[in-house]
Amino acid sequence: MSGYIRFFRLMTAVVMGAFFAAAAAWADDPLVYATIQPAQIALGESAQFTITNLGDGTNPITLPVVSGLKFEIIGRTREMQIINGTMLPSSSIVMRVTPQIAGIFTIPAVTPKAQPLVLQVTAAPGGTSLAQAAPRAPLPPPILSGGSIPKGVHLTEDGSAYVRLSIPKREVYVGESVPVDIEVGMRSGFVSSLNGLPKLTDDNFALNNLSHQPERAEKLINGEQFVVFTWRSILAVVKPGTFALSAEAPLTVKIRTRPRRESALDDRFGDPFWQNLFGATVPKDINVTSPPQELKVLELPAEGRPADFHGAIGTFSIASDVSPAKADVGDPLTLRMRITGSGNFDRVDSAMLDRVDQWKTYPPKSSFNTSDPIGFSGMKTFEQPVIASKPGAQELPGLSFSYFDPNARRYETARSAPLSVSISPSLADSVAPPQAAGGAGPENGYAPGLRPDHADTTTRSSSLMPPYLQPRFLGIPSIIVLAFAAGWAGARRRRPLRESEPADRPSSRAAKRVLAQMQAAARAGNAAVFFDLARAALQPWLAARWQIEPDEVTTAEVEARVGTQNDIHQLFALADESKYSGRELRATDFAQWLRVVRQVLTNESST
Amino acid sequence: MTARAAWLALCLLIGAVQVHAAADPGGYSAADLYNLGNSYARMGKPGMAILNYERARLLSANDPDIEANLQYVRNSAHLTAEKRGTFDRIARIASPFLLSWLGALGLGVIGASLIGAQFSPRHRLLRASAVLLGLSMLGLTICNGLAIWPVLHEGVVIAAAAPVRVSPVPMGDPLFTLPEGETVKIAAEHESFALIETRAGRTGWVAHSNLAPILPRK
Repeated sequence: MSGYIRFFRLMTAVVMGAFFAAAAAWADDPLVYATIQPAQIALGESAQFTITNLGDGTNPITLPVVSGLKFEIIGRTREMQIINGTMLPSSSIVMRVTPQIAGIFTIPAVTPKAQPLVLQVTAAPGGTSLAQAAPRAPLPPPILSGGSIPKGVHLTEDGSAYVRLSIPKREVYVGESVPVDIEVGMRSGFVSSLNGLPKLTDDNFALNNLSHQPERAEKLINGEQFVVFTWRSILAVVKPGTFALSAEAPLTVKIRTRPRRESALDDRFGDPFWQNLFGATVPKDINVTSPPQELKVLELPAEGRPADFHGAIGTFSIASDVSPAKADVGDPLTLRMRITGSGNFDRVDSAMLDRVDQWKTYPPKSSFNTSDPIGFSGMKTFEQPVIASKPGAQELPGLSFSYFDPNARRYETARSAPLSVSISPSLADSVAPPQAAGGAGPENGYAPGLRPDHADTTTRSSSLMPPYLQPRFLGIPSIIVLAFAAGWAGARRRRPLRESEPADRPSSRAAKRVLAQMQAAARAGNAAVFFDLARAALQPWLAARWQIEPDEVTTAEVEARVGTQNDIHQLFALADESKYSGRELRATDFAQWLRVVRQVLTNESST
Repeated sequence: MTARAAWLALCLLIGAVQVHAAADPGGYSAADLYNLGNSYARMGKPGMAILNYERARLLSANDPDIEANLQYVRNSAHLTAEKRGTFDRIARIASPFLLSWLGALGLGVIGASLIGAQFSPRHRLLRASAVLLGLSMLGLTICNGLAIWPVLHEGVVIAAAAPVRVSPVPMGDPLFTLPEGETVKIAAEHESFALIETRAGRTGWVAHSNLAPILPRK
């Protein structure tokens, strides 16, 4: 620490001495002047551009604009200066000048009387330069010169960082998962920040399961202290071919604004404090890339590819089991297949059992338990629900799983042994439990409150379905309904003979009136009126039956239709006879013919 | 003639009843199912006990022993007590077996009365009474069917805790569990699962192995 203080005092004295020595020479200079330090830098570094205004600060100051240079104000100072014994107030604007390209730049004067400044920017390795012809400035010496650097470590030019990609093999297959390590080393104090996750520079590859939290370690590389972050990941290969693969990481490093030879002391101390103190470094975002590695990607062979191959590449083994080993019909069992090993588990798949006699199978589901952070090795478990459809000793066939072994360079099929299961009849479908049917089961808490069993004296039914919902029973009421419907229809068919033309049939009231008149005529002994009433009453009725006009119902017509032996014909004949002969009848004759007419009119006769 | 037809129909019915009753001597009987329920209850299987009591009740609706033991097992299993309404009591006043034949007889009485009216206009009051009686018998049978119909589509949980799943697959996510002995409505069936609805209105799929329908599956 005392060395630092002595150095600080020494530098302060040197600066103040320089100011006093220059005061005499600058007394007649313009009141505004600019300086740039250093005048020669490398691309990626920055220089400090200072505009100093001596006096009251009324002189206008124009900020320079130069194509290819970026000016950023980083500070303003105000102080008193003694020049030639005169105290002058001064103010300064300190700017950072960062070149965008290499070349020789002329910074215009800040005042008309001032002189322009020149900044020479040398090209970085592999970069482009606007002034190729210009003599290239010698590069600052590397920090880590001499000594050994670990294999695969390629430091950046300023020795501040490196990226290393570790691939365990040089030949892989399309679809194969390859575990890789990406190591990013950052020299302590020279790297401000890591701005993102490392990635591959080739789009034909993908990093899967890249951890967001890398492993952190500190290492001494070539005598310098480095903070090393290591990501583990799985390299997935997309297409065949030969590729140069490298990884890159975005970093922010501290760029020196002074030539390296001037900051060698800072490097020697290994502490950026001194650089920051004098504004000697600026941050810069860069991508650090690992040295390319050649990787040959092969196609999977088409020969010998199993039908159930789903793209699994690696080294695997399988085992299977079923639980429970004893179950009832309808109980779901779980068939498990465990695939253990290492490889691309995302392509490890199995349809398990598809269709098996006497088993109902369901689609399986899978779960993966990894034994490493990147999911390269572990155990994938497939669980498939299966349900036995019949009781008895059943057997589940063995399972198989096909994969490609990249070490053996051939397809392999792993198989498991068949599994035996004992299936009992379902409890829900059983009518009587064998042991408990007689009530001999073990007693428990339910027993005390139960009412006793019944003697089986009731009738038995073939089904618990109510008979009125059984097709066999429904036939009986159907027959009944049909039989009665047929009878009712038959009876209805007979009714039209009596009721089809109710207007033509004498109503009961009219019949009663006619009968009453006939009775009156009988009592008076007037046969002509009696038979005339009887014929007049029967004519409409007969006309309706014979479908003729009532006037057409004559004695001849009646004789033609019903014959001479019929009561109605005799009645018509007697009516004619009594009308023209004045025949007398006895009381019994009146009663007889009155009965005949009544029977006809009240429909009790079967004529 | 009407009396002769009615007598003939009655004889036919009685004969058919006797033939039907003797058709399957090895089938179900209320006493057997009741005794089976008692056996399961003694074995500590309330689900199977309730199932068999329910089945016995289909054959002998108003047996007090069946009712008592069914309620006792339900209460012991901490299940919700079942409340029977007046309609249910009246509609299930007799067994469906008897009511089936009663309905058929009612049909016969109605038919005979209607046919008799075609032959003679006399005895109108008697015929009207007979039709009313027949309609009552038929109505009682229909009411019995209405009361029993929901029971025919119910099931009893026979597993200790039956998971009710969101889909009819064994790996379906469980929604809730049903206690053993719970009676649920079976709304649909798919493969080896039944879509059930609880009395609280919750629905889900239960495996057939966990649920037994009151009306046994064919």
